Order: sequence, then structure tokens, then C-alpha cells
Amino acid sequence: MQKQKRLKVIAASVILLGGMVFLVVAMTRSTSMRHFTPAALVEAASGADNQRVQVDGLIAEGSSEWDAANFKLTFAVRDRETEALVNVIYEDRLKPDNFKDGGSVFVEGRYDAAQNLVVATKLMTKCASKYDGAESAVPTDETSYASE
Amino acid sequence: MTAEIGQAAIYLSVLSCLWAIGFLSFGLWIRNARAIQSGRNAVVATFILISIATGALIYGFLTDDFSMRYVVEVSSAAQPVLYKITALWGAMSGSLLFWLWLLTVGGVIVVWQNYQRNKQTQDTLADYSLIPIAIVQLFFTILVTGLIEGVYNPLARFPGGQVAADGQGMNSLLQTPLMAIHPPTLYIGWISLTVPFAFAVGALASGRIGSGWILRSRRWMLFSWIILTIGITLGGNWAYQELGWGGYWAWDPVENASFMPWLLGTAYLHSVMIQEKRNMLKLWNILLITLAFQFTLLGTFITRSGIITSVHAFAQSDIGGYFLSFILASTAGVIGLIIYRWNRLKSANRLEALLSRESAFVLNNWLFVGLTLIILWGTLWPIISEAINGEKSSVPEAFFNKVVIIPGLLLLFLTGAGPIISWKKITANNFQRMFLLPLIIGLIGGALTWGFLALIGYTFPLYSILCSFAAVFVIAAIFAEFYRGAKLRAKRQETSFLNGLNLLIQRNKRRYGGYIIHIGIVILYIGIMGSKGYFLLESKSMTLGESMEVGKYKLTMIDSFEKEYANYLRSVIVFDVEKNGKRIGTMEPALHDYYKAKSDEEPTKESAIRHFGMNDLYVALGNIPPNVKTGGVVNVQGYYNPLIGVVWIGVAVMVLGGIVAIAEKSERSREA
Repeated sequence: MQKQKRLKVIAASVILLGGMVFLVVAMTRSTSMRHFTPAALVEAASGADNQRVQVDGLIAEGSSEWDAANFKLTFAVRDRETEALVNVIYEDRLKPDNFKDGGSVFVEGRYDAAQNLVVATKLMTKCASKYDGAESAVPTDETSYASE
Repeated sequence: MTAEIGQAAIYLSVLSCLWAIGFLSFGLWIRNARAIQSGRNAVVATFILISIATGALIYGFLTDDFSMRYVVEVSSAAQPVLYKITALWGAMSGSLLFWLWLLTVGGVIVVWQNYQRNKQTQDTLADYSLIPIAIVQLFFTILVTGLIEGVYNPLARFPGGQVAADGQGMNSLLQTPLMAIHPPTLYIGWISLTVPFAFAVGALASGRIGSGWILRSRRWMLFSWIILTIGITLGGNWAYQELGWGGYWAWDPVENASFMPWLLGTAYLHSVMIQEKRNMLKLWNILLITLAFQFTLLGTFITRSGIITSVHAFAQSDIGGYFLSFILASTAGVIGLIIYRWNRLKSANRLEALLSRESAFVLNNWLFVGLTLIILWGTLWPIISEAINGEKSSVPEAFFNKVVIIPGLLLLFLTGAGPIISWKKITANNFQRMFLLPLIIGLIGGALTWGFLALIGYTFPLYSILCSFAAVFVIAAIFAEFYRGAKLRAKRQETSFLNGLNLLIQRNKRRYGGYIIHIGIVILYIGIMGSKGYFLLESKSMTLGESMEVGKYKLTMIDSFEKEYANYLRSVIVFDVEKNGKRIGTMEPALHDYYKAKSDEEPTKESAIRHFGMNDLYVALGNIPPNVKTGGVVNVQGYYNPLIGVVWIGVAVMVLGGIVAIAEKSERSREA
């Protein structure tokens, strides 16, 4: 009786745990998106074609075009280290706050290798740094300045 | 001068923390009351010193002292006074100081409660607990001294006597009343979690691992839970109102970081009942509260280390490494104590049957911890995936939404089943008396929901049907509990039913407060089901005079205007709103352009929200061109969020239940 009860408890635990692990692994596999820098994405090219990807880079200066009439934002993400560029199109969604030339951007979407284009479903922006450029009125002496 | 005094106070508090740790440990070791008292005094001294430092920083904000680096970073002369004060936690080093200050308040309260208590009995548990508290304080104090790389002292001035002309101002998104209270609320919740953790460590150190430490720290845990519930919800509500994307929860790493300690804390609140009632799970409870505490630090590690990309634009720095080291070191310390006390941690009882109140509690704990691990997995997937195959990947919001549904629904079911299942082993009688009717009513509820949703065009929305079934079952089960109890009381005291109900709750606030929380949970689930599952979104480029339709509603753009405020310019578009063809008023979404925000900051979106019962119509703008009056195009997004009001009501009921439960005096005669 004691043994049988323990067996039941163990069986229930295994089923529950196994189910959870299976669910998590399956969902991770089906939704996981690879993370690229623009340079890495250009290099991967067809290897990433038609996959959902994340691209992390900077908004290339002068590349962004906001077509209000068609509710469409197009721009290029520039690599932080190289000159590599990836084009981005973002439609039917509001332009995120803080979207500006040279700013950090994080793009989520499907990659079209032939056109070197990411059709974005999500954009995240951040200020590049609040201590660079024009704001030299503020002394910047140490490396520990936080960048947002 | 004040800044220098503040800095000196921080340096001195390193000493007072060390003093507290040293004298408490020594005093407890050799049982010397004077040494212990000296250690307690040092805890109070730390509070006074850190209060001075915090006061000095606030003084710097109020006097616009732009020779101070932190003041320049997050404040400006034109910033309203309220936001000058909230700038205290506007960036990293100030937040750390504020966190530390709250922690010192916690320390003083523990000392005070102990003083009150020791008038009657001599007991050293709280003194043991003050040691881990002082250690955590020491960690934060060292961080804010500015002596280690990566964090500067919040009271530091610029080198060489430089003074900035003006401050940079706080991020304009944070300049709203909700953002003034959301971060400190979360901080208070996290800090108050430190105390039950400290009591667990104290119990291990002193060797008294009965339920005494749990009873002593129970209200701290409940308080923390209530505050965290409020804090997390304020964040969601702020995001909903300010960010213009129509939602309130996006499984962002920072949101997850605040949610995981809440889940673990909730698990703990349940598992301690087993220890009290059945003297089981002693080790588990210590592990759980340790984990909950460590997760409050892990949250900081995740969000500040820069290893995870988040929409929360937090500063990145080396601070993550310090947090990780502290987490590892303190966890190792707890594990060492557990091994030391291994013999006393064995359970007196075992599970007796698979279907019983005990196993319902265990399942509840598994699910909460499982959910936490799932969310941690998803949050850390960028790191995990890189470790597995060298490719950095991440999972989108959809991962979390899908993966939490099944454990979430199981938990919802347990919300009703747990309180009515019998201890030790379910019996046929128990099932018939308590379960049968609620189950039948639940099935009817599920069927009705199915019918209603089918009627409006959804063929077989499985999760909504299951959710409604479970929700109705829980409500029926818990109402039956209240009804039975109140009737019995009324009969025994020969009074009315309502009086009986009142007596019932008064006599056992913790239990019935808990049931009220359960009802709040059900309401919350219904709100989430409606707003996450059935929202509508329409996007359109519009000019004056044009209309767009969102469900039954029609929005016509009729006008635009601008208005100047003290620190921002408000640009408004006016929409006429019609419902089913009948005009019902106007909505005015806007953009706010802060004059003295970071110079290159874009205007922030101020969405317009109109409530129709529990459902919201929500309008946000992407831009307002200068020529809007003469045909310029505005990008508009309209959302219809059904049942979103129910979300806020659910949380309010949960908080109410928490307040009822916390009102119960903590320590009854039963001490271990």
C-alpha cells in the first residue's frame, strides 16, 4: 500500500515534470530567433533566408524614411564595427519613441536574403548615449558613465 | 558641503555595518548581552547615516547643485519639485542608495519589533536575523561608496570643481505620477522580502527551525507580496497609459525580473502553511525564501549587466558582476548552514495520498516554481542558446504567452480545489459535498462562454473555455466556503447571516483574506483572457475629416491644437467617437514634447483611453506633422481592449484580500 502510493506520487511527478519540460523545449524550438549583427546577417545571407531573426545595430545616418501616408518606416541598420548594412521595413505600426539617426536599434522580423531586407514586426530603440556629442557642457571624465 | 557630509556618512556606514555584523556574531557566540545590544545599535546607526546621505542627495536636487554628477544626470532646474525628488531613483547610483536606505529602514523595524517583544520574552532569533540584514546592507553600502569600478558615489561632485550649466533632466517618460511611485513600490516589495529571508537564515544559524521564524516573518512576507502586487500592476498600468502600444505586459526581461520574486513569494506563502499545520517542508521553505530573495538580486543583475536586451533603457555597467558574485556567495552561505543543520530539517510527516490538501499545496508549489523556471529560461535564453550552440538567440513574447497557459490554468483550478480538498486524503464524502456542485456550475460556465464566443465568431477557443470553466468552478467553490462558514457561525451565535460572515472573517482573517485573494485571481484571469485573447487593433494614416473603424466604434479626426505646459508642449488631435452609429463624445490623444528633456528626445505618446464598462477604446498617435490643419497625414492606431478594466479590479481585490490577511496578529501562542 505504502509502496503503491509512493509509485503513484512518483508517476504523477514524472508526468508533470516531463510535460513541462517537453512544452518548454518544443516552444523554445518553434519560437527561438537567432540574433545577428548586421555584418553577421549579411554574411549568413541565404543561411538565414526567410527565418525570423533579431538584428542589433545602429540606425544608419540619413537612411530612415517615414512615409506617413502609407504608414511605413524604412531604414537601414548599420553594424557597430563594420560598414555592413541591412535594410528594414516596418509597416502599420507607430514609430517607436527615441527613433533617430545613429541611435541603437533592435529589430525583430523575417529576413529576405535576396533583398537583404528584414520585414520587421517589432522595433526597440534606445538612446545611444546621453553623454556624447553635443552635450559637452557636461564634463565627461570617466569610463563609468552609464550609457542607456 | 552637504554632499561631503553625505559622502562621509556613506563611508561611516561601512563601519557601522561591519560593527553590527561583528558584534552581533560575537555577542551571540559568547552570549554577551552587551555585545548584542551594541550590534543592534549599529544597525540603527546605519539607518541614521544612510538617512543623512539620502537627505544630502535630495538637498542637492532641491538646490539644483549642478556640481554634483548624479544631480546633473537626472535632474534639471526646470524639473518640477516632485520629479526632482523622484530623480533620487532616476538612475543607477541613486537607486542603489535609495534601495540601501529602505533596507536600513527594514533593519530598524526589526530591531524595534524585537525590542517590543523582548519586554516579555528573551529571544535571540531576531538578533541572528540582523546579521544577514547587515551583510546585505554592507554589500549595497560598498556599491554606493564609489570606491569600486562601475558605480559612482551618488553624492560625488565633478572632478576639478567643474559645474554644469544645467542638468540633463530625467527621461520624460518617467515624469508621470505613476512612474513617481512605481519604482519605489517595487523596491519596498523587494526589500521587505529580505526580512523573511534573514529570519530563515537566523533560524538556521540559531538552530531553531520550527515554525517560529515563519510566524515571526509571516507578515513581512505578506506585506512584501501586497506591495509587489501593487508595484507590478502599477508598471503594467503605466506602460498601458504611456507607451502607446495598447498592452500592459510584454514579457520584457525587466518585467520578468519583477514577476519572478512575486511567483516565488506566492509559492512560499502557501508552503509555510504546510509547515505550520503538518510540520513538513521545512527545508523546502528555507530554500524557497532564499530563492525568492536571490531573485530580487538576480533581477538587478539581469537588467543592469547588459547581458540581456530590454526595452527598459537601464544603464549597463559592471555592477552585474558584483550582484552575481554576491548572489553566489550568499547562496553558498545558506547552503553551508543547511548542511550544518541537516539533522533538524527532516520532515515529521510525509504525504499520505496523491489527492489531498497537502499534495494540492505541493502541486501549487511545483507550478509556481516551474513557472518561475520557465520564465527564467525564456529570459536567459540568449545566454543559454549561446552556451549550447554558440549562436545567440532569443524567444519572443509569444513563447511566454504559449508556455504559461497550461501551468497557469492548472494553478487557476487549484485556486478553487486547494481550499476545499480535505487534509491527508480526499474521501468520497469530501468530493460529493465540496466538489460536485462547483464542478457542475463550472461546466455550465464553460459551456456558456463557449456559446457566447461561438455566437460572435470564434468556433472553439479551447483555452477560453477551460479558463471560464476553472474560473466559475473556483468562484462557486470559494463562495460555498464562505456560505457554509457564515451560516454555521450565524447559527451558533444566533445572529444574522451577514453578522456570521463578518465574524467568520474576523476570527480567521488570514484564511478568508486568502480566499478573497483567490477571488481576485479569478477576476484577474478573466481580464487577461479578454484583453490578451480578444483585442482588436486597427492602424490607419489619416487626415482631418477622415474616419477609421475599430470594432463597433468609429473614430473621425476633427481637429488639432497645441497647449503649452510648464515643462512640455502638448499637441493634441481631436477625434469624434461614434458607437454603432451614435455619437458618444470625443477622444484626444496627444504627443508631449518636453522642453528640457535630453535635447534630442522625441515627443512621447500620450494615448487617449475611454472606458466602456470594463472595455477600453484606446487611441495612440505616431506623429503630428506641422501641416496637419491643411491635409498633413497623422498615423493613428486604435485598439479595442475587452475586459481590460477587469484586470485592474482583479488586482484590487487581491490587494484587499492581502490587507484582510495581514491584519491577523502574527504570533499566536504556538511557538516552536
